[in-house]
Amino acid sequence: MTSLPAHDPAGQAATHVAPLLRLSGIVKTFPGVRALDGVELEVLPGEVHCLLGQNGAGKSTLIKILSGVHQPDAGRLEWDGQQVRFTSPQAAMKAGIATIYQELDLVDGLSVAENIFLGHEPRTLGFVKRGVMRQHARELLGRLGHAEIPVHWEVGRLPAAAKQIVSMARALSRQARLMIMDEPSAVLAHDEVANLFRVIRELTSQQIAVIYISHRLEEIREIGDRVTVLKDGRTSAVGLPARTTPTSELVAKMTGRAIEYVFPPRRSATPATTGTHEQAASATASARQSSGTPKRDVPLLRVVGLSRAGEFHDISFDVSSGEIVGIAGLVGSGRSELLETIYGARRPDTGQVFVEGRRLRPGDVRAAVRAGVGMAPEERKSQALLLDEPVYRNITLATFPRYAAGGFTRSGREITAATTIAHTLQLRPPDVRRITRTLSGGNQQKVVVGRWLVHAGTRLLLLDEPTRGVDVGARAELYQVIRRLADEGMGVLLVSSEVPEVLGLADRVLVMREGRLIHTAAATELDEHAVLDLVMAGSLLEQTEGSPV
Amino acid sequence: MTLHIPSRRRFLGSVALGGAALGLVACTSNETGGDGSENTQVSVGGDNASPGAPVTIGFSAPAADHGWIAAITRNAQAQAELYEEVTFLPVEAGEDVTAQRAALEALIQQEPDVIVVLPHDGAQLTATAQQAMEAGIPVVNLDRIFSSPLAYRLWIGGDNYGMGVAAGHYIGTRLREAGIEDPVIAEITGISNLPLTQERSQGFADALSTYGFRVTNQVSAEFTVDSGQEATANLLQAAPHIDAIWNHDDDQGIGVLAAIEQAGRDEFFMVGGAGSRDMMEHIQAQDSVIEATVTYSPSMASSAISLARLIAQNRGMSDLVELGVPKSITLASETITRDNVEDYLPLGFAS
Amino acid sequence: MIKLAQRQSVPWWRTEAADAVRRNSGLIGVLLILALVGVVTRPEQFPTWSNVSTVLTLASAIGVITIGMTFVMIGGGIDLSVGGLVALAGVWCTTLETQSYGPAGMIFCALTVGLGAGLINGILIAYGRLVPFIATLAMLVAARGLAAQISDRRTQIVEVDAINDIAATDVFGIPLLVLILVAVAVLAWILLNRTTFGRRTVAVGGNPEAARLAGINVRFHTVLLYALSGLCCGIAAVMVVAQANAGSSGQGNLYELDAIAAAIIGGTALSGGRGTIVGSLLGVLVFTVITNLFILNNLPTEVQNIIKGAIIVGAVLIQQIRWRDVRLAARRRPGEPPIAEPSPSQPTGDRHDSPHSVTPQISR
Repeated sequence: MTSLPAHDPAGQAATHVAPLLRLSGIVKTFPGVRALDGVELEVLPGEVHCLLGQNGAGKSTLIKILSGVHQPDAGRLEWDGQQVRFTSPQAAMKAGIATIYQELDLVDGLSVAENIFLGHEPRTLGFVKRGVMRQHARELLGRLGHAEIPVHWEVGRLPAAAKQIVSMARALSRQARLMIMDEPSAVLAHDEVANLFRVIRELTSQQIAVIYISHRLEEIREIGDRVTVLKDGRTSAVGLPARTTPTSELVAKMTGRAIEYVFPPRRSATPATTGTHEQAASATASARQSSGTPKRDVPLLRVVGLSRAGEFHDISFDVSSGEIVGIAGLVGSGRSELLETIYGARRPDTGQVFVEGRRLRPGDVRAAVRAGVGMAPEERKSQALLLDEPVYRNITLATFPRYAAGGFTRSGREITAATTIAHTLQLRPPDVRRITRTLSGGNQQKVVVGRWLVHAGTRLLLLDEPTRGVDVGARAELYQVIRRLADEGMGVLLVSSEVPEVLGLADRVLVMREGRLIHTAAATELDEHAVLDLVMAGSLLEQTEGSPV
Repeated sequence: MTLHIPSRRRFLGSVALGGAALGLVACTSNETGGDGSENTQVSVGGDNASPGAPVTIGFSAPAADHGWIAAITRNAQAQAELYEEVTFLPVEAGEDVTAQRAALEALIQQEPDVIVVLPHDGAQLTATAQQAMEAGIPVVNLDRIFSSPLAYRLWIGGDNYGMGVAAGHYIGTRLREAGIEDPVIAEITGISNLPLTQERSQGFADALSTYGFRVTNQVSAEFTVDSGQEATANLLQAAPHIDAIWNHDDDQGIGVLAAIEQAGRDEFFMVGGAGSRDMMEHIQAQDSVIEATVTYSPSMASSAISLARLIAQNRGMSDLVELGVPKSITLASETITRDNVEDYLPLGFAS
Repeated sequence: MIKLAQRQSVPWWRTEAADAVRRNSGLIGVLLILALVGVVTRPEQFPTWSNVSTVLTLASAIGVITIGMTFVMIGGGIDLSVGGLVALAGVWCTTLETQSYGPAGMIFCALTVGLGAGLINGILIAYGRLVPFIATLAMLVAARGLAAQISDRRTQIVEVDAINDIAATDVFGIPLLVLILVAVAVLAWILLNRTTFGRRTVAVGGNPEAARLAGINVRFHTVLLYALSGLCCGIAAVMVVAQANAGSSGQGNLYELDAIAAAIIGGTALSGGRGTIVGSLLGVLVFTVITNLFILNNLPTEVQNIIKGAIIVGAVLIQQIRWRDVRLAARRRPGEPPIAEPSPSQPTGDRHDSPHSVTPQISR
């Protein structure tokens, strides 16, 4: 207990403590994509091992392999010195690997004790020994320093932080020796994070290892022992000391991804550029300067002092017509909520939204649509599409009454209009009578964007993660479409977790962190490093030219 | 609109009165027993109508879903109003056994002198009724019988089997007179899984068999007008020629007659059941296929109230020799035809 | 011109009519089997026009209710109050007072009561945010209670001949009630398939969030759907009253179950967004034909109920298999190019990911 490897310099510990988990050369391919391409990872008993990487670097796939959801195509997985293969989540759990999911996978209607022992209740002759179960649950929560959580309460009544503790107690009840925590702090308030760290230390003191995933550098500094950095499905750094590695080095290991996206030129004058966003940015720097000033006195969109408690605070900015404005920020920084509030899908606590100088009625989607605002929401399938309906009906979902006569829909006219849009968007297959569910993710996204293009009055497009789940080829097409729309005078407000996407596509970038707008700059003035610094640490480290808004 | 629930003031007042009355009954009834009958075993006759000690009668019947049950409650209420000294204390028994059990328990708490109850289900409410008996409150069991004799002081009810027999005899006699061989006899029952329905059918079949006849087509309705209409519409398709129909229930009979009229059929005659005013009027007017109906009269509720009053007052039935009211009274099922319908019309209930 | 060109290019197997047959082939099969059983067991009675028109007549009132129910269910809700509304509208329009206004007054009364109660349902659900199940269950109980109160639990006999004649009139040999059902069904089909109202209904039920974000007034539309169902109950109440020559608070007992069962075996999804008028009507017919068959064969009610239950399960199973086939066919329709961009997220089940997790196909 006294000589905790967790507090040793990592390099030394690795020499005389046998690793709990060792991955080497892990490869995982999905149709058309190599998600993991030779990942190395070593986790010691009782250490907090941080996993760092941008969105799409392969962290989620790696977690799924560790927790038995996916099986690797190649590579070696050693657990406790033995080569193993987890064929199912149950197998991984049995071996002692527990994953604490972001959306906690607890049953709200069951009690704390029942959740902890779900699936392995202490019992005799098929009867659950409730007393024993509660007693054990109390002990487990006590081990985590949270004996105060009432074991008979329904989990639904607990706050998110307490649910997380219950989830960990469940892992303990299964004799977990490795806990994987995927952005556990995303759902927590500041003081709750401190408490989480206390619990993690409690765990490590009992020789339980933790794989900790977070974008927040200060957390990694505080709780982590070692850091492994993923980039493009490979490990770009293994076992760096968490406390001492300079931020610049960590960021450098994460950035410089080999992006093959083709970003369209910002004004039709410049040719398309291939390569990293920096190249794209420099190539189009001149083009953007000409479009930097709005042509009209009244901006297309003006957001003034918009706030929603717990989501975002005092946000003000403008979007001009013909301009693409990108919002960069972590999950939980309030960016999606901001977009939905502008659109009227959420009602702001304070603040106003103006479109072409006219104030939008807060919390009224139809007012926004009438004013010419369209939104492609983050969750395509649950928020945007009728998957069992034909494509054309999804394209005209917001506009079908315009094609109707006297309340009677005119499918023929809708199909004609939708076909034109499908052609413009290079929808594949182009048959708009096809059931939407049968389309690929990228084409479904085109359908959602297309919905606002058949609407001739749309002047402002709000795009929330427009390329999520869209493969490389389709992305380039989507980028082209978005840029062309802007060139035709549409204003675009874009939210993306992918920094290169924001930098490559947008004219202007807003950086959000924990619900606040902390930086605004032309896309050319920022690079991936700078944005990551802002997003993760809250300030520019090396560069100081940017000033908070 | 029936007023089942008296105003709160009257309600409280009646409980107080009832309580006081109890004491009075205890002393006065002994005296009258002393001077009145002189130990001769003959009936004096007629003195049942004379006012007695004040009595509070608790009453519980299921919420009416058809006319017969509604008539039960109305009759009880009306009969109670005939007696000056009777305070009528009805409780709404709701839609099911549980609701009625709760209602009965509340009623027992109020300590009426006697309780008249038509249970949703005799077997399931026996324990509750027995509880009342044990608390010293006599129970008059109306129609659906409790499963233990300890649970009631008096049972009064109709004769389901007898209804079937009466209908069977009417139809059997008519068909034999007409000389029809191998007649098509249809039966439209009520809710088929109720014991009372099964008893009626059994009586009908037994009576018909004495004529060598049998039921050729049987359909079931649910005591409601629309179910009667639907079942009959199908029945008329199933049997292109019918000689006679017995319809168990005059409530659903309205729908049965509607279906017959819609199908334009009149080659048969029909016998009803229960004895609603509507059916009696048809019998009297001879304007439809219905020729007769066999009674299962809700007038039993009126009788039950009268007898409950006598029980509470410790009096017997004046036309009987016995000092107390009998333990069990089964009403005969009578056959109403054009010849006697005049007499029965006042007893007919509105469906 | 373009429209014309597209019309021509639709092959016969992709027309709406063909699609309706394909989608309901399970139910059509069940009906054919039932008809065959009828013809074999009762050849003199079953295949007669008199019997067929009786079956259709008995299907008419519940058919109208099922149509209203289908709209509500496609819109993602459920209406348990229909039986109660039939009783309430039936009783209200047959009081002596209402009867004194004559047939038009009675019909107007029934439709208004149905519509009004449906509106209340809709407002409670859309703006009061009650769960449809609870709101309409409460309405069922309350409407039946009110019906009992109004009628004083008596059966109210209809003396207005014009109303009773509705059930006794044939037009060109077809019962008027059946024609009413046909008229309602045709209107409903047009409403669902050819109007903006129908389009909104599918959107609201299929994905309420998407509908809302597309600028559809989901709440208002929900109110309209329940009002429509209420109106159908009002129409059905007139039909039931005409058939029985009476109104009573016991009428329409368990109609909610019959209507829901018919809609479901007709392919309406409990989860909303899917359902057809034709399917629901076939569902109603299956039930009425079964009842008719059993009575023709003089079988006891208990057996009827057992077999009815079995047929519900069987028909739904067949329907599900049919739907799956239709979907598969939609996915891989012969003669069309394969889907150009296979999304890597689909085969790996990544769409069940947390919204925050990262899909793996981004890099490279």
